[in-house]
Amino acid sequence: MIFTGINLILAFSFYVPFKTGQVSLGQAGFMGIGAYASGIITVKLGLPFPLGLVFGGVVSGIIGVIVGFPALRIKGIYLLLLTLGFAQIMQVIALTWSYTGASDGFQGIPYQEHTLYYVYAIIVILLLFFHRLERSSLGRAMIAIHADEEAAEVMGVDVVRIKLLAFGLGAFIAGLAGCLFAHYTTYVDSLTFNILLGVEVLMFVVVGGGTTYLGPVLGTCFLTLLPEFLCTLRDWMEYIPIEWTDSYPWDVSYEFMYGFLDFENEKRLIVYGMILIAMMIVRPQGLLTRDTIHRIARLFGLGKQ
Amino acid sequence: MFTQQLINGLMLGASYALVAIGYTLIFGVLRLLHFAHGEVFMLGAFIGLHIVLVFTGVNIYVAIVGAMIGTGIIGVLIAVIAVRPVSNKYPLAPLISTIGVTIFLQNTAIYIFGGTQVAFPSTIDPNLYHIGGVTISSVQIFILVMAVALMIALWLLVEKSKTGRAIRAVAESHETAALLGVNVNYVVLLTFLIASCLAGAAGVLDGVKNSAISPFMGLEVAVKALVCMLLGGLGNIVGAMVAGVLLGMIEILSAAYIGTSVRDLMTFVILILILLYRPTGLFGTRVVGD
Repeated sequence: MIFTGINLILAFSFYVPFKTGQVSLGQAGFMGIGAYASGIITVKLGLPFPLGLVFGGVVSGIIGVIVGFPALRIKGIYLLLLTLGFAQIMQVIALTWSYTGASDGFQGIPYQEHTLYYVYAIIVILLLFFHRLERSSLGRAMIAIHADEEAAEVMGVDVVRIKLLAFGLGAFIAGLAGCLFAHYTTYVDSLTFNILLGVEVLMFVVVGGGTTYLGPVLGTCFLTLLPEFLCTLRDWMEYIPIEWTDSYPWDVSYEFMYGFLDFENEKRLIVYGMILIAMMIVRPQGLLTRDTIHRIARLFGLGKQ
Repeated sequence: MFTQQLINGLMLGASYALVAIGYTLIFGVLRLLHFAHGEVFMLGAFIGLHIVLVFTGVNIYVAIVGAMIGTGIIGVLIAVIAVRPVSNKYPLAPLISTIGVTIFLQNTAIYIFGGTQVAFPSTIDPNLYHIGGVTISSVQIFILVMAVALMIALWLLVEKSKTGRAIRAVAESHETAALLGVNVNYVVLLTFLIASCLAGAAGVLDGVKNSAISPFMGLEVAVKALVCMLLGGLGNIVGAMVAGVLLGMIEILSAAYIGTSVRDLMTFVILILILLYRPTGLFGTRVVGD
């Protein structure tokens, strides 16, 4: 539950800059900044957790704006590589900075027993925020930038300010996620926030759908709960009558499927990889789009025609 | 000492260059960042290792050729399964699809080969040669010669042959090339084949050099090779070669004279500097109308 929630917060942190067309693989780096910054507050200075949470988020957000400035000038794969490089640099710094334990990792972060409440409170706040954003001028400006930056600028949208804001906000949210993560696991090191985490965050949003704020929610729930579902599938397999799986091709394939459908990490990721490829072929816009939501809403007699 | 470090840097740079060439070839033809290319490199190393292990006493050249054939097939399969069916309407879709391939291949490798380092047996008699105060081993000479030979072969193929002309034509414009009678689909597959073969050979060479391989080696090299691609200029093959060697040298020299922890940092500082001040790379990008 808690990890699903933290993943969701991370997915949102990717979603905000994505709304303005900025794809960041560096969210793991911002998460790391949040984790370390809040850790310094609670461990080294002995201040209470909420202060650490705010501090982690703010530091990460400020660094986000600083990184956002150069990111303004570049886009597409250049931006992807820039954020990737940023995340790597953060990893190296975490690995070498002796104040926070260098390669031994940051140990002894106080355990926060109310993490669950914090996580879901933040999610609720974010959901409300995104709901309001969707209808606000800021939200519309972001969508305009995503669709066509030049046209948006001509129409009087302050592209620079909004892109920076989106990038900083994304970093801030990632910082919060990092802080929550650190105070739940009580230990972080440079490998916790690696490239693959950044890639996984991107997956949550892309699979769910990047055009609406419900997309990341669906994507995160879907991908996080998928391994559980595969486990259930395995339990169901035991109900298959034994006579069916007696003869040659079936016994081998049964064994293989049974062995495959378990909880282990690499098998989960193999399935993730296949899903990602299939998704891009069949539905590159993600599971949920604005159209789908309207259609579902209409199905239940809600929403405007 | 300095010359010694330069040679070490050259060794490292050679494998970066071989992978970076693949990236830049595919980017030139498809405008696609083929994220899974590093995994192809890793699989090449594993195929080479298994050829050496299964047929004991086999020549290392056979392992390299075998790995090249294997990764060539894998590369074409990636193109057919994960790249071609993805529509270009969503600019990010093909990239994310290859990220999916990365995750899939890396974890399949972990599943099959285990998530730990595997020793790569030495197949070349280790002889040390002393040339004017510099020590160079037969393994190093072998790797260097192979890498240079592959690069020259590739350069000849792309710049001098008819096929190469077709590849360059497709890189300029799919439509124009198709109008002029070039089979674009075939050229795209061929590009994936060539790029993957090079990566496979680089994988085996890397295994020979480090005498250990692991399923995680792909991502590491992939990121470095991406930096090389940018450094050399997108779609610029010779640029990628030079940038690969340059990056290898920078890494080794900064590790030797500043400190090992700076080594990876240097790569990414270079990456960010290039992105900010010279996005076309040191030698100019060959990609038109991007």
